[in-house]
Amino acid sequence: MGTQPQMHPHACRESPAPPSYLLPLLQLSDSALPTGAFSHSFGLEVYLARGVVHDENSFAAWLRQFIGQQLVYSDGLAIRLTDEALGGAGSSGAGARCTGLDSPRFEEVWELDRQVTAQALPLQLRGAGIKMGLRMLEIGMGIFPSAALDAYQEQIKSGRCTGNAGVAFALTAHGLRIPLSQMLAAYFFSTATTLTQNAVRAIPLGQSAGQRVLRLIHDDVTAAAATVMTLEAGDLGAVAPGLEIAQMRHEYQRARMFMS
Amino acid sequence: MTALKAAPAINAPMGELRLDIGVRNGRSLATGQYHRGALRVLRPHYLDESGQVCYVTVNQGGAYLGGDLFTMDITVAEGARLLLTTQSATKIYRTPKAFAEQRLRVNLGPHSTLEYVPDQLIAYRGAAYRQDALIDMDESASLIMSEVITPGWSPDGQPFRYEQLRLRNEIRYGGRLLAIDNVLLTPPSAGTADFSGQPVADITGLGFMEGFSHLGSLLVVDPRVDAALVTELRMVLGEHEQDALTGISQLNGPGFVVRALSGSTPRLNTMMSTLTALLRERWFGQAALNLRKH
Repeated sequence: MGTQPQMHPHACRESPAPPSYLLPLLQLSDSALPTGAFSHSFGLEVYLARGVVHDENSFAAWLRQFIGQQLVYSDGLAIRLTDEALGGAGSSGAGARCTGLDSPRFEEVWELDRQVTAQALPLQLRGAGIKMGLRMLEIGMGIFPSAALDAYQEQIKSGRCTGNAGVAFALTAHGLRIPLSQMLAAYFFSTATTLTQNAVRAIPLGQSAGQRVLRLIHDDVTAAAATVMTLEAGDLGAVAPGLEIAQMRHEYQRARMFMS
Repeated sequence: MTALKAAPAINAPMGELRLDIGVRNGRSLATGQYHRGALRVLRPHYLDESGQVCYVTVNQGGAYLGGDLFTMDITVAEGARLLLTTQSATKIYRTPKAFAEQRLRVNLGPHSTLEYVPDQLIAYRGAAYRQDALIDMDESASLIMSEVITPGWSPDGQPFRYEQLRLRNEIRYGGRLLAIDNVLLTPPSAGTADFSGQPVADITGLGFMEGFSHLGSLLVVDPRVDAALVTELRMVLGEHEQDALTGISQLNGPGFVVRALSGSTPRLNTMMSTLTALLRERWFGQAALNLRKH
């Protein structure tokens, strides 16, 4: 997968080639990736209806809490635990390729899929994770096929797993040997980008305001990736209650643009 | 912050309780019982004629201290019905060296029921506490559990001066993982920090307590729960929205969860008992719960 770095003679003044995973990572975390993320507000729409989120600053405040107090403890931790279960991207043995698909390592990943679905208490949020997981898996299988992704699909078909966006992303990214810290930062920033586009449409905000929010969120994304590394497995699902309540209330909000 | 990571001494729990509930002559009661240390139960009693037995747990020390571990092992056998509550609020004093912890293991047999209604949790300034419940239930069993978390206590009267509260419930239903209900409240770092490390939001604000002080949860798993019941209960909740923010949602199976933010313990207790009264009446022909403790 990807382009092999090309060797240049020393005399050549060209800069070295980027790591082979860079373009796959950019493609996987592009907001144009058709995972259906544009249909979900993850509770933001309830804050809009209550008037709590109404402009650039209040949206930025919500987005920072969503990344730092929800995504870190759900998809973020699931991505890390999936990658670690498979032995990490940079480890000897080249991760999944040298690991039998029926090995305990994969059992750990399938159990993570069930846990990350079980921790999503709001029904629409759970549905979003599953739906986007199935789409992410399909996309991954189409452009970066691997035995691990096939095995995940088998688990889902047999009803042993539900599918989850974070787990599907991590399995795909692991196969591409993307380092964990970059997987996490890319996943968080990609989510922030989609949510900002949704906010630009829904609040509405100007495109420049959206870009300012995304610039502001860089440090939060970096901090979120670092926080994921400090958590323990039992932290999965430790989501801030206010965010959860909004996600529950979205089910019965009258006017809705989004599916969650 | 070391108290957040340092685990209690697991080889010497401060209190242990084991309770096996069975049925005799149409009434539920303990068929096996063991307690050690600071944890015990009062004599069982019956609040009505339904046969549901009520046990009240007592922490003889009055509070949890740093490094304390309390374990409870509850088994409710086929057809038996247990109401479990506490004698008074669970208080966590300052835990300078290691967090205090309670571990609850519950096994619910076929057609058994557990209603777990502890008093509110009060964490004092500087307290760190973990509560971990693992509930393994048969597909025909019924579970109702509620919890109220107060903003705690501090000498200067300021709320949210505790270090951290972690409350995790894991429900296995018919051998399958149904729900992980995880609440983590860390007031010193609840908000996202800005570039200079200054918090931009705190625990009382956006995303966390949304301007309220008390957090209530209700978790119900029962084969009779369906979308229609959840909708009905949502309407009931809607009548309790003065000075409160609530949400209800169906779990990935026959169960639901309620999260509620409000300004006081009685308000949340009233809200939760209104919901459970409906379930008790409909499912078991019992009146609303009246524990007459206070």
